[in-house]
Amino acid sequence: MDPSWLPPLGIAIPLAGACVVLALAKFVPRLVVDIVAMVTAVVAVGAMSMLLAFTAAGRVVTWVGGWTPDHGVGIVLAADPIGAGFALLACVLTACALIYTWRYFDDAEAHVHVLILLFMAGMVGFSLTADLFDLFVFLELMSATAYALTGHKIEEPRSVQGGFTFGVVTSLGAYFSLAGIGILYARTGQLGMPQIGTALAGHGMDALVLAALVLVLTGLLVKAAVVPFHFWLADAHAVAPTPVCVLFSGVMAPLGLYGVLRVTTTVFGGVLPAASAHGTFVVLGIATAVVGAVLCLMQRHLKRMLAYSTIAHLGLFLIAMATLTASGVAGAVVYVFGHAGVKGALFLMVGVLLARKGNVDEFALFCEGRDERLTKWLLPLGALALAGLPPFGTGLGKAISEESTESVALTALFVLVSAATGGAVLRASLRIHFGLGPPPDDTDRDTTKGEGEEQEGRFPNRVPATMVAAIAVLLTGGLLVGVVPQVAEAMGVGAQRFLDRNGFIAQAMHGVAAAPVGGIETAWTWSGVALGLLSAVLAVAIGFVGVHFGLGRLRGALKAPLHVVHRLHSGHVGDYAAWLVLGMTAVGALFVIT
Amino acid sequence: MSRRARWVVFWLGGLGVAVLFVLAVLRLPEFGGLVHPYRDLSVPAAMGRSSPNVVSSINFDQRALDTLGEETILLGSVVGAAALLRPSKDEKEQLAKEEGRVLEATKLLGYLLLPVTLILGADVVTHGHLTPGGGFQGGVVLATGLHLLYVAGSYRMLRRLRPVSWYEMAEAAGAGAFVVLGFVGLFLAGSFLANVLPWGTLGDLFSSGSVFALNVAVGAEVTSGVVVLLARFLAQALSVREVK
Repeated sequence: MDPSWLPPLGIAIPLAGACVVLALAKFVPRLVVDIVAMVTAVVAVGAMSMLLAFTAAGRVVTWVGGWTPDHGVGIVLAADPIGAGFALLACVLTACALIYTWRYFDDAEAHVHVLILLFMAGMVGFSLTADLFDLFVFLELMSATAYALTGHKIEEPRSVQGGFTFGVVTSLGAYFSLAGIGILYARTGQLGMPQIGTALAGHGMDALVLAALVLVLTGLLVKAAVVPFHFWLADAHAVAPTPVCVLFSGVMAPLGLYGVLRVTTTVFGGVLPAASAHGTFVVLGIATAVVGAVLCLMQRHLKRMLAYSTIAHLGLFLIAMATLTASGVAGAVVYVFGHAGVKGALFLMVGVLLARKGNVDEFALFCEGRDERLTKWLLPLGALALAGLPPFGTGLGKAISEESTESVALTALFVLVSAATGGAVLRASLRIHFGLGPPPDDTDRDTTKGEGEEQEGRFPNRVPATMVAAIAVLLTGGLLVGVVPQVAEAMGVGAQRFLDRNGFIAQAMHGVAAAPVGGIETAWTWSGVALGLLSAVLAVAIGFVGVHFGLGRLRGALKAPLHVVHRLHSGHVGDYAAWLVLGMTAVGALFVIT
Repeated sequence: MSRRARWVVFWLGGLGVAVLFVLAVLRLPEFGGLVHPYRDLSVPAAMGRSSPNVVSSINFDQRALDTLGEETILLGSVVGAAALLRPSKDEKEQLAKEEGRVLEATKLLGYLLLPVTLILGADVVTHGHLTPGGGFQGGVVLATGLHLLYVAGSYRMLRRLRPVSWYEMAEAAGAGAFVVLGFVGLFLAGSFLANVLPWGTLGDLFSSGSVFALNVAVGAEVTSGVVVLLARFLAQALSVREVK
């Protein structure tokens, strides 16, 4: 089989599966729906694994519909190891979410399955396309299905509110992106990334290109939840069904960063000075990491805590990508893969708690989880993995990223931020499962409690094997990313291909075979292991200190500034839109001054 | 944030974005200029495949993958809206006993227009490759035309003549047909969504190859999708009630 068949198949397989599920839904038992959806995801995993294997030798370029480049009108898909890796990640996480869903929505209709499969098609298309307008189409496909999945628990006003906020903010960002694509089309008469990139490079940088850059990036930065475009993420994660959170945190938000990097390097790489992109993204990354880590520590609603930890990690990924070096990009991607497994497992464990106890509040669950055999040991382990404990993939990704920044201050930031997120989760786990510390008592009005969430499934006696299997697969996956050296090596090759803009354009437009690239250093180093252990130790310290001294005293000292930060995350969609617009101006200004 | 703070943040940002946008617009090519690289490429490509409606040729042939994505967005939106509008645990469908009276003139006009609208919709769908229109536009005409049954007749009549589960199947079939046509291109010409059907003579009804077929598939999908969507909204407005 021709490898160029695989990228369109990755998009078409989930679409076909979704249509079959939708057509059958009314006439067949639930089991058939589950099986069809599962088979679809597994076939897609197979196809994307093959694609990833083929990309080792060079990019897999597909001109859809046979419109070869000499026609000049077609859409081109170009899969490199990183794009194919993201597509594979989307399929694997979808499969895990579907295993978990098997028993999870006990009253669910097939709607959830259809939406999840369409969502997967959107993510795969987004990862593989090399056409700017096509990227926008798949961005919208991801969004439209994601809104509905977020608001799925219609009995709860908060759930519908979360979906609504997510919808408004993301759509607003996407409209700005579309405007940017329109401006680029007016200048170049092209829609493909290699074509626009070539045309722009011949013209040079001016206010139009800067405006187009800021506009196009806005929709992607919203998806990537970069501060100050991040507000929707925690509200959506808090209410979305838990398996959907796995997809949001594990792959959808990181795909936003992937889009940012793809557009910046391929479309604008010929006109935008590398220093300018680097400076802008480092500043945005630092802000995102710090805000995410601080807010993560302040949460008692477990899903919100994990959501802010995702924001913090997205900031770290962005800092690593901002180096625009092969090791930085490879480190960020390995970090994303490891994080997807670990964070997915953590979300599903919180989902188990929600199904068993009907609650995701750190305080209300105090001592409640002493008899939980599954989460009692795996939740603390997941928390340490989140902090970067070797040999988890998070630790390896963090180590490669830290080294790529070549900066002591940024390395310290990586250690502290990852330790803070792991420490917050560990603190919650120690309270819930081990009953450590005094019974928490907090009367702070600012904090969202986790007591009003709708119970998802009811399993008083035993956690279903399907749920356990999904957790095990994800946690093991997060471990394997760090243990199997081929993963990081493949992404090292992928990062070099990704950043090779001229090679990309030559292969996509003129069919020039990709030049072979040497590997980069992606193995564990002693300093990487040491820094990973340091993060884990710090996380343990934060966990125990947090349990014993409580949030109350910490809050007392920092009351005023924390109050302001909390109040900014008001849930008011008008606030979020105002920050989005201010963020656009800030991004534009950063590109100018750096 | 207070109302005032929100406005301050917005105006600070809005001012910057406005300045950037105006500067960009000033550098756009002149309106009505003669340089159109994409037009110069796509018009001959459309004509070469007997598709005089160039817009349709771009949508369903040259950039068919985009349209597959867009059609899927519509499918996802309809399924998503249906999921959000489903009756919740403490709601039930209950038809009102009394329905309002419809004016004779409205009835007459409605029943006269019903077949006309449906024929017009089918015409717009099937001639999408020749004249302005196509599956998306015609599908909306067909779906709204069907609702003349509600305007001129009654909600009960609409419900009887519009079995929602059939339309859900038709929606899936229409979207699936697009994917299947994509696979046909893949297996026959080695390229997903390749236009492998006979192109025919420019101007004929059965010409332009898969542009015609894809228009019909999209027409079916859009018709059923909009019907399902309206059905959910109408049910929420007219028949879904809270039960204690």
